[in-house]
Amino acid sequence: MNRKNSNKSRNPNKPTLAFYFLRALACINKKTSMASYNQRSGTIKRAAYASMALAAGPKRAWSRAVLCRVLWWGSSRLHGFPTRRRPRAFFHRRVRVADPKLREPSKADVLRRLVPGAKAMDLSRLLEETAHYIQYLRAQVLLMQNVVGSVSD
Amino acid sequence: MQQSSREMQGMASSLNGIPSSAGVAAAAAQIALQELHNGHRQQQIQNPSMQVPAAHFDHSTAGSEAGSHDDFFDQMLSSLPSSWPDLGNPKVPWDLTSSSNPNGLAGKSPEESATAAAEGLQYAPYDESLLLASRLRQHQISGGSSPAGKQMLLQLNHPHQQQQQQQMLLQGMGRSPVATSGGDSGLLPMPLSLGSAGSADSRLLVDRSRDELDPSFRSNPTGGEGLYNGFGGSLQGGAQAAPQQHFHHPQGPSMPAQNFGGAPSAGVGQAGAAGGGTAPPRQRVRARRGQATDPHSIAERLRRERIAERMKALQELVPNANKTDKASMLDEIIDYVKFLQLQVKVLSMSRLGGAAAVAPVVSDMPSERLAVQGQSGRSGINGAAGNDSLTVTEHQVAKLMEEDMGSAMQYLQGKGLCLMPISLASAISSATCHPRPVAGNGGGIHHLNPGCLIPAPPPSNHNNPAVGSGAGGGGDGPSSPSMSVLTVQSAMANGGDTDVSRTSVKDAASVSKP
Repeated sequence: MNRKNSNKSRNPNKPTLAFYFLRALACINKKTSMASYNQRSGTIKRAAYASMALAAGPKRAWSRAVLCRVLWWGSSRLHGFPTRRRPRAFFHRRVRVADPKLREPSKADVLRRLVPGAKAMDLSRLLEETAHYIQYLRAQVLLMQNVVGSVSD
Repeated sequence: MQQSSREMQGMASSLNGIPSSAGVAAAAAQIALQELHNGHRQQQIQNPSMQVPAAHFDHSTAGSEAGSHDDFFDQMLSSLPSSWPDLGNPKVPWDLTSSSNPNGLAGKSPEESATAAAEGLQYAPYDESLLLASRLRQHQISGGSSPAGKQMLLQLNHPHQQQQQQQMLLQGMGRSPVATSGGDSGLLPMPLSLGSAGSADSRLLVDRSRDELDPSFRSNPTGGEGLYNGFGGSLQGGAQAAPQQHFHHPQGPSMPAQNFGGAPSAGVGQAGAAGGGTAPPRQRVRARRGQATDPHSIAERLRRERIAERMKALQELVPNANKTDKASMLDEIIDYVKFLQLQVKVLSMSRLGGAAAVAPVVSDMPSERLAVQGQSGRSGINGAAGNDSLTVTEHQVAKLMEEDMGSAMQYLQGKGLCLMPISLASAISSATCHPRPVAGNGGGIHHLNPGCLIPAPPPSNHNNPAVGSGAGGGGDGPSSPSMSVLTVQSAMANGGDTDVSRTSVKDAASVSKP
């Protein structure tokens, strides 16, 4: 059952990714009113993650977490809330699977911080999410490189 | 322009429901790119940090950002409800099947309810077993009605075996079934010897109960009493074994299905034979050589196997994954994830072409130089002088690299420069390229191998298309230069895989190969 999941949801759907991302980019670029480069780069970065998460689908923990974070941040900005507050408070599970036999607690924790939505997972599931996340990250990076390349030609 | 944008919006929204077909997506991509081009043709603010060929990416610096958020997030949200349930409600679990545990969003509720249900299932058999055990002990003390006790025990074992069989065969190794199978496995030691020594006695107990069922009908009280003594002792052991197994549950031992699949069937087969076996039981699970039959070690072993399997899958994804050590492999994975996230950040900045935004990425002094070049490049001030010195520097560094990396690095440091992985550098450089008609500069990048000197500005293609493209697209497509630079490489052997990086991008980061 786990094996089936891992094989099916392996390869990121590149056309879907491209579609979402380019649409968002076009929308962002259409808005000629940008306050600063930093803001715009932040928006593009969030667009990248959002399109990545959308393409990944709701079955992965990281995609859900990413989308929640992105949307929450976007809506909070719209309403003028301070953006330093992260929504981790009510998503963060305090109960963590404490396995005394875990030989790499520190490294696994670092990985947990890096991969979104992987706060409270055992190691095997964490590794699975990481693999999936890495695949989608690579696809997204390649897509962005291609866009930059094609635009700059 | 407005009309075209509206058209695109309409097309995009109509394509919302069908993003999967490649043709449609390609069409949308085309339209999007055209939109990018068209939209910026209007404002020719010469932003030199981005290579701006005739009608392309342009950035205006005025205005607020709230409006963009509206549209962008509306678009995202509109595509959500089709496939995803309520996103804003953190309590609603999106996937309640036992296969995927929604940890991030759904909070504790589904997890806990699933485990609670599993636990509830487990507790029932234990209560029954304890109840029956106490009853049997009473019978032992009273010394009567042995068949009743045996029948009770048989009843206890049979339905549980059936339950166990069904669960294990149907549900596999999912999480909640694991808990239940773990729960039932606590009972298994009673008919099967998978547990401690006490379970062996309880097994004997069951066998004897089955064997003696027929002869007991002949009402052999002496044999029955003898059995009861055995009953009492083994029952105590069994009763103790059960709670022990029970206490280990919350840690979620997962049992291999194969062992239990074989064992219950063996057990039931034995029971069905009704006394075919003699007193010594044949149901003991033969342990594999060198491995214990303790359920906890079995669970541990399974968990380790799963982790090893996942690590192997990750090894294929992550470059430089020839490490056999788990710790170093985890380090590699962590570094790679950080690297990819950094790349996303850099690439998103590169679209703006904001050199000031790129500056934080490069942690060394070159950031100043980068920023200076970026901002002043607009007017093309730094043009020729910077390029010449950079070319000279690059040659110097290449020479130094052949002899000794350390000296090369020191030289660079003295100059206030750094090396970066090619992909990053090309991303940055494409962002920071200036519209200067400097043809010779394009060659500078190709001379350098594992990385390129920052801030070596890439060729400005839009002014000199012939030279720029002829140079193999040195600075343009970030995907290609990693290949082109490598192919041009003559000075260093196999520079492709190694990189020297002094920036925040760590040493282990390799040139990203697709």
